[in-house]
Formats: sequence, C-alpha cells, structure tokens
Amino acid sequence: MFFALAAGILYVLFGCMQIVEQFGIKTGLAELLLIPGDIFGGLCLVVIGAVFLYGAKELNSGMNMGVSYVYVGILMSLVFMAVYVLIIGASLLEVYLIQNEDYLEWRIIDDIRPGLYLGFLSLAGYVAWRGRFSLPAAK
Amino acid sequence: MTQNKITIALAGNPNVGKSTLFNAITGAHQHVGNWAGVTVEKKIGTRTYHDTEIEVVDLPGTYSLTAYSVDEIVARDYVVEDKPDVVVQIVDATNLERNLYLTTQLMELGSRLVIALNMWDVAESRGDKIDTTKMEEFLEIPVVKTIGNKGEGIDGLLDEVLREAGKGAHHEHEVSYGNEIESKIIELERILVNDDALSARYPLRWLAIKLLDGDENILEKIKVSPMATQIDNVLNTIDREDCEASMADKRYEAINTVLPQVCERCVKEVTFSDMIDHVVTNKYLGIPIFLSMMWAAFEVTFTFATPFMGMIDMFFGWLAGVVAENITTIWLGSLLGDGIVAGVGAVMIFLPNIMLLFLMLSLLEDCGYMARAAFIMDKLMYKIGLHGRSFIPLLMGFGCNVPAIMATRTIEDERDRLITILVNPFISCGARLPVYILLAGAFFGRDAGSVIFGLYMLGIIVAILSAKLIRGTLIKGKPAPFIMELPPYRIPTVKGSAIHMWEKGSLYVKKAGTIILAGVILVWLFSAIPSPGVDAAFASEEILGTGDSLMGALGHVIEPLVAPLGFDWRIAVALVFGFVAKEIVIGSMGVLYGVGKDEDALGDILVAGAMTPLSALGLMVFTLLYVPCIATIGVIKKETGSWKWTLFAAGYTTGLAWIAAFLIYQVGTYVGWGL
Repeated sequence: MFFALAAGILYVLFGCMQIVEQFGIKTGLAELLLIPGDIFGGLCLVVIGAVFLYGAKELNSGMNMGVSYVYVGILMSLVFMAVYVLIIGASLLEVYLIQNEDYLEWRIIDDIRPGLYLGFLSLAGYVAWRGRFSLPAAK
Repeated sequence: MTQNKITIALAGNPNVGKSTLFNAITGAHQHVGNWAGVTVEKKIGTRTYHDTEIEVVDLPGTYSLTAYSVDEIVARDYVVEDKPDVVVQIVDATNLERNLYLTTQLMELGSRLVIALNMWDVAESRGDKIDTTKMEEFLEIPVVKTIGNKGEGIDGLLDEVLREAGKGAHHEHEVSYGNEIESKIIELERILVNDDALSARYPLRWLAIKLLDGDENILEKIKVSPMATQIDNVLNTIDREDCEASMADKRYEAINTVLPQVCERCVKEVTFSDMIDHVVTNKYLGIPIFLSMMWAAFEVTFTFATPFMGMIDMFFGWLAGVVAENITTIWLGSLLGDGIVAGVGAVMIFLPNIMLLFLMLSLLEDCGYMARAAFIMDKLMYKIGLHGRSFIPLLMGFGCNVPAIMATRTIEDERDRLITILVNPFISCGARLPVYILLAGAFFGRDAGSVIFGLYMLGIIVAILSAKLIRGTLIKGKPAPFIMELPPYRIPTVKGSAIHMWEKGSLYVKKAGTIILAGVILVWLFSAIPSPGVDAAFASEEILGTGDSLMGALGHVIEPLVAPLGFDWRIAVALVFGFVAKEIVIGSMGVLYGVGKDEDALGDILVAGAMTPLSALGLMVFTLLYVPCIATIGVIKKETGSWKWTLFAAGYTTGLAWIAAFLIYQVGTYVGWGL
C-alpha cells in the first residue's frame, strides 16, 4: 500500500506540474526536475497516479483486488517509460544517423521526462512482483 | 388415452442447445410463427408423455430478464402473463456461473423451475465435476443431466417436469440484496400493493426489484400507474446505476456461494487477466486509461517516426537530383521531378508514421485491450444512440474507413448499422495523417503530437455528437443491447503484430503506386497546361503551379468558397483532389507551392506567410471532417444501398467541415489568436 500511495502521489504531482508549466505558470522546479510543459503528457501521468491511488484506497479498506490497481499502474508507467525511451532513441538516430542540423546541440538530458525517471520506481515494483505478471503469448 | 395437459416453457442463454433440446422433446410435432407484435420467432411443439399432453414453448435465448432487448421482454412477458406450468431452464454445464444468473431471475419471477443441465458430457470431459444432488439441495430446484444432440436425459427431464407440475404449494426463492436495497424493495412493495392492476399481474417483489434495476419496460408501465409519483420519489433517492450494478453483484455473490459447493473445478481462480480487467473496465478510470494509451500510441507514431521520415526524404532528394541531372527534356523532367517524385515522395515520406500507427493499434488489439476498450465505451455508445458493436468499426476507421464501414455488417439492427456507417468517416483514417503531420509539425513544433492527438479526439467527438443528432432526428429509436465475451489478455508477438501492421500499412504503399501516382500526375498536368488566354508554353516555369495554369483558373473559381476559412486557391485545389485520396492533399500542395518532395520546404513556405497557425488548424480540421475519399463514398453507397444516404454523408460532412474551419479561423482571428 505504501508503494501505491508513494507512486500515486509522485505521478499526480509531476503530472500536475507538467500541466501548469504548459499554462506558463512557473513552479520553479521545471529545470531542476526536467519537467516540460505538456498538457496531454501531464494528464497521462495524473491518470497513472490516480490508478495507484485508487489501489492504495482499496488496499486500505481491506479489498484484496486493490492490488490489481498497483499492477496496472506499474504496467502503464512502464508503457510510458518505453515511450520516452523511444523518443530518446529517435533523437539519437537524428544525431548520429541522419545528422540533422536541428539536433547539433542536442543532449540526452533534453529528452528526459518525469514519465521516464518515475518509471524506474515502477520497474523496481515490477522486479519485486514479476511472478504475478504472467500472460500467455498471442497466436 | 391422454388425460392431462400442461404447458412448459424452455428458457436459457443463447447457444446452450435450447433448440436441439426442443427438437429432441417434440420431434416433428412443432410449428413456427412469430410472437405477437414483434418479429421474434415463436416455436411451439407438443409431446405426449405417459398420460400427459405437453405443450412446449421455446422462448427466445436471453442472458437475463431485464428488458434490455425485445427477446428478453418476450420471454419474461410469456412467463409472467401466460404462466406456464413449468419453466425448464437449459443450463450450459460448461458455463454454470453465467447461466445461473438467469436462474436467479427466473426464481425471482416465481416460476416453477426445472434445470436441464445440458452438455454435461463436455463439462466432465474437461474435468468439471458437477454434483447435481447438491445443486438440487442448494437451489431447491430439480436438476436433470441432458445431452440434447444425443437425446439423452429427455425422459428423466420430462419425469421431473410432470412431478414439478403436479406439486401443490410452490416455494418462492429470493436473492438477498443487502440491507440498503432490501429496505428500498420493501418500501416499493408497500406502494405497489396499492396499484391493483400491476399487483394482480406481477409479483410485487419482482416489480420492485425491476424498478431498482432500472428496467425500462417496467418503468414505462409505472408511468401510467396511480402510484407513479410515490414510486418516483423512492427511485430518486438512489443512484440507479450503482443500484443496478450492486444488485447484479449480489446475484453473482449468491451464485458464487453455491458454485464451489456443487462443482469442483467450476470456480475459476482470479487470473492476472481478471486483475487487469478489474482496473481497465473501472467505472471512473476505464476511459481515462483508454485515452492515455491512445495518447502514448500517437506520441510514438509522431516522434519515433521522424528520423525514418528523414531517411525517406534523403532518398527522394537523391532521386530528384538524378532526374534533374539526366532528363534534359523540360516537360519530361518537370513531370518526373515536380510531378511524380514530388507528389509521390510527399506521400511516401509519411510511410513510417502510418506503419507505426498501425503497429501501435495492432499491439493494442493483439494483446486483447481493444475488446476492453469496446466494453468500456459501450455505455457511452448506448447513451449517444450507437450500438456497443459500433465501437469496433469506429476503431477500425483509424486505419481506413472502407473496411471499417464494411465491418458494420456485424451490426444486426439496420438503423444502428446505418448510423454507424454515416458517422464512420469522422474517424480519422491513416490517409489524413500526412496533412496533420506536415501542418502540426510546421506550426506547433514540439506540441505537434498533442495537436494530432487532439484532432483524433475531435473526430471521435464529432462522430459521437453526429450519432446523437441523427438518432434524435432522422433515425429515431433505441440501439439494441450489446453482449460480448472478453478474450483473455495475451502478450503480442513481434511477428503477429508486424504481420497485422504490414497487412494494413501495405495498402498505403499500394495506393501511393496507383491512385496517388495517377492523382499527382493529373495535378501536375492541370498545373502545366496554360489557362485559356494565357500565352505561355506547356510546362514552362511561368505556368507550372501558378495562377496562370488551368489548375490556377480552377482554383480561382472555387477560391471564394474557401477564402472565409483562410485558404488560398492552391489549398482549394488540393482539397478538391483530396476527394480522390486524402494523401493527395499534401502531394498537390507540394506541386502547387513548387517545392517538390521536400516536406520541410513546404512547411517553411507555409509558415513564412502562406498560412497562419489558425488557418493551418482550420485546414487540419477541414481535412478531418470534409467529404471522405471516393472509395469511402463508394462503400457507403454499396452498404446503405441508397443514394440519398450517400449524398447526405457527403453533404453533411463537408458542411460541418466548412462551419468548423470557418469558426476556427474567424473566431480565432477576432480574438487575436495565432496572429
């Protein structure tokens, strides 16, 4: 439950900061925590956070199925982590393969987003409970 | 000699072997008609068993007795009004949980029940061990094992039917719905007892339960009751949706209390699939999770494709150079360079985006998530007047509207199907993506992914609102209910998803080599021929892509129609040619703005003054909403079989697109956005 609560609060907080940054409201943390202004990206983080928090609420009230929310929260955050990894991959291709002039001053830190580094928290959760994440392969 | 006569009704879920059992009981002694006032098939047969003549009525297959469909109304009205001596419920032994849900409802209706446990041989062959003696004890209903297709157990079933029909007092069964709901049931019963007409016809507790269940058929009946106001007062104190859901939960709770005691392996363990479903179909989180997943898909589609677009750009740049260096004939060089390479290149550059979008959709489909998306959208679909099954063709529309419209054949109700066909073109197909990518990339920079996501969402919203409008005006009525079984989640394989991606994406490549190639040659030809009265050579620099070409003359004629939207004659012409295939919009703009295949150069020209962010947004919205391509129009005609609806689709979409683009440009300009 503590994992769900902590992850939920972090995702909601960072998601909200992404949204308010987009509206030009300076949180003062944007540069330090690499938070871009991004409404839809921010809303997605809020949704992931809401899934974790819903799980925490259910677990707190003794509902065993609350753990489902934690698993789905982990899966969603890993999906978003993968999305941001792909974005970095695309930038690397622009720099080294295409040698795009627009990317001459690109640094890896330019593409780092909260969805990426918060994903490590979920990755830890996945490693800890990976036995539960079992599905058959599609035909 | 026959002495007695009884009537029995056969009830059960669809596909449980009801008709087979009906045939096994009645043999050739049956006749088929329709239930009064509806086009639902009614089968009646007879069988003389021992000294009793048994009339057997085959009820329509239903999952419940709540009035979601005409089948359910027919089935329960027969049980309530005609009062058969015994109701035989055919239960599929391989799916006890779902089948017993109907049992709980038949029990509530006060029927004398006998359960025919059909297909028990299949259940046993897979290891289920069903104890029918215990089942009888817990349910207080006779249970007989049958195998309909072999005619086994029929005599035993008829023996039990005769025994049950000959019994004296009948003990009615109840499901306990918990203190809160039970108090409401009692409150409603106390009111309903004062309505003589209703209380004489229906069991009071059942009526109260159906009212709390939100049963529309019963709610309609209540409207003319003298007790209507008092009943409404009670119903207004509850959240009907929550109440309906918790009553269904209580029925399943009752079933799941019995199930482990009567069947060894029927109780399924909670799987990881069940756990995911518990969350992704959550009442509050289901739709936000779906939207988040779609956003992730579009973000990858836009961002990860960029370097691959650069590679294709390089290839066509090299090809244009080869043409320029080796073709000395001016008109042929122009046709190949400015026409074919520029036009086809401007379309092919978006191949990575198209492939990635299809890959993302294939991954979501192959893992089983799309079926859940249909499930969570069903309630919304029903509210806006669409059938739950409409969601799948709408989703397919993200790929191409042509197969999506053909996929509406799975919708049985003609009106539901027609509405789904008419709104399908608003779902943004892959062919419109190049327009969004070019304009969003040029005018909205890093927010391009979000802008494109917004356009896709706008398409869905317009489809939803249009469906509601059409359902409320032109095609009135309520959509049929939607029942689907969710497949288990699976991990998508790279090979499977890649095949699905290629199946859909390769159509884009084929189109580029056929219809788009023909289209851009036509655009080039029109832009190379001087307009009447202009003294210049064919395909000369003074003519090519200018207002003095035939294309220019055509463009200037239609320009006044699009000028209020902030579009010039080139865009007007590009949109006209977009009717052939939407991809040609970009190919035509490439030719008409004289920038060849270079997508960046076209973007630069547009940003430099040919368009404003507002007119660019207006053009994206116009492209999203206006008349679909000729292939889609053709399939609409074929599937509706009506020119009237086909012309309506073309006119409605274009009219709506014009109004939307006009509002964006004029209102935006008025308030000073994007200037």
